[in-house]
Amino acid sequence: MGEEEEKKPKAEFKFPPDETGLGIISAVIAVIIVILPGLPAVLKAVGVIFALLWGADSVRKTSKYGLGTGVPSIGVLGMGYGIVGALLGIAFVKFMGPKLGTFSSVAALGGVLLMGVLGYISGVFSNHEKIIAMKIPKLERGMMELGMAGTLAMLLEFSIVAGSLNFADVVDKAINTGLIALMFVLSMMAMFHPYNACLGPDERRPRTLMSSVEISGLLCLILGIVLVATATSLWSGVSLIIFSAIVWIVFYVKFVKACMRESDSVVGTGLIKTIE
Amino acid sequence: MPIEAVAMLFAWMLVIVFLALIACMFEDLESDTGSQSNPNSQVQLAAQVGQVHRFFNKAISGEAPAYAMYCTTAGVIAYVLLLKEIHPILAIPIGAAVGEVFHVIFATTAHIGRTAGSKRFEQPLYLDVLYGHLLPIATHGFMAVLCIVSIAYIQSNLGTLSGYLPVDGVTPLDHPFALPMLAFIWGITVGAIGSSTGDIHYGTEREFQDRPFGEGKRVVYHGKITRYADCGIRTQKDIVGFCAKYGGPCTGMTFGTIILFENWRTLVGMMLGRFLPAATGFSDIAAMLGIVIGLVIGIALIFGNVAFVKWARKRYGPFVGE
Repeated sequence: MGEEEEKKPKAEFKFPPDETGLGIISAVIAVIIVILPGLPAVLKAVGVIFALLWGADSVRKTSKYGLGTGVPSIGVLGMGYGIVGALLGIAFVKFMGPKLGTFSSVAALGGVLLMGVLGYISGVFSNHEKIIAMKIPKLERGMMELGMAGTLAMLLEFSIVAGSLNFADVVDKAINTGLIALMFVLSMMAMFHPYNACLGPDERRPRTLMSSVEISGLLCLILGIVLVATATSLWSGVSLIIFSAIVWIVFYVKFVKACMRESDSVVGTGLIKTIE
Repeated sequence: MPIEAVAMLFAWMLVIVFLALIACMFEDLESDTGSQSNPNSQVQLAAQVGQVHRFFNKAISGEAPAYAMYCTTAGVIAYVLLLKEIHPILAIPIGAAVGEVFHVIFATTAHIGRTAGSKRFEQPLYLDVLYGHLLPIATHGFMAVLCIVSIAYIQSNLGTLSGYLPVDGVTPLDHPFALPMLAFIWGITVGAIGSSTGDIHYGTEREFQDRPFGEGKRVVYHGKITRYADCGIRTQKDIVGFCAKYGGPCTGMTFGTIILFENWRTLVGMMLGRFLPAATGFSDIAAMLGIVIGLVIGIALIFGNVAFVKWARKRYGPFVGE
């Protein structure tokens, strides 16, 4: 199953869909995996990868007009939305769960929608002439997508570690153990590091997005190690480790090769160009 | 027994202070090796204004989130190993090593990504620069992360280590947060202090050393400090050697002093509020006394700094920029 899932993003990277297409594909995949918490951890990892890919694309979209040192801040903001939205989501599951029965996880999408609305409102506030007047093109849409992608990624990570979106389980296994810090910090890295690392006039979108998948692989690798150490079923952790290690190796090698191919020149050593 | 426990508490506090000093010193030197926060703008700008250089461009993020990442990763691995009942003396270094593996992975992608992103400025990707800087980055970072994870471990077991006995299954003075969360908070702190206090080299020691009190420089000259050293082409290995003398220890001292005063005032406040020897019945008085001592220390430091700056200006000349 691991290999099969992993081919799909690879094919997309050669002909990546445009920003809207990638957003819709990632959102649909992540939402389907969120509302089915009984799926194996490997499939949830695929959802995490797609959600963070969408987040990284939104960071790129938002910061492309020339945001330099602000790129990391946008990613941190996205995961800030993510943490708040995911906690709201599991709270919705707790309160709406009894009414919805087996489909109680659908209630978690309430957090996603709320964060989308909140992101849109904050985008409008930031761009509105009378309030902050930053006038950043496409900021409203970028913030909305960031909030939704961050929340989806965080919900899926909770679901990997806790096995479900049950409030008590998530608090016990993800928050009390401090794993929420790891999820926050590596997810925000997966969102902002790609664009921050590839920043420059010759930045290319497929190359940037490769880096995001690679970091999501690292995140899932650590979550797999945690699962092996804590979960009752060893197989889910081991399969997650194998899958994410393959994803990481493939995309890391692809990213390094792409950068080396596309930089001005790769030299073993050399002196710097003299300037008169 | 309680008095010995208090003495042990103060001793562990001093261990934490010492570890913080080492951590922040190596953090600052590591950020000089990779040119991470403030100097990074110079490294990034240099190629764009035509100053091709042989610097490592470690644009991971600001130092604070980056160190939060390495320390949290290290903390999670150490935590998992401790759950499996592996001795901390093995678990903490293994965790720190994994954190540094992550650090090196991110450093590589940042350097080659930025170099490929500035193709049109004819900045080549020097492989010896790439490989040659990864090991110094990893080793300096390892020291910092090791110390931070050790601090987090000590804090989360402080009561047990000081010899307090559990009351209702909870040992008093053990930190309620789990180890990864403490590592996260301490990682952000060490990165923030290293970023704000560090970079002595770029701020005052080298870039502006011909100007009294660091006057601004024209944009044309930006990026020049990345090119030539006193002898030959400059790389960051020269800078680390340069900064290891004053810049790094100074940064470490800042962080160590902050931790020292902060913990000392809390513990003294707890002792004066009669909380400490027994470690039961925490009162508002203990907290208030701690806050008052903290305010006194803060005011004393403000006056000390004003006097020091006045003395330095009198001794070394006026501030020309004003």
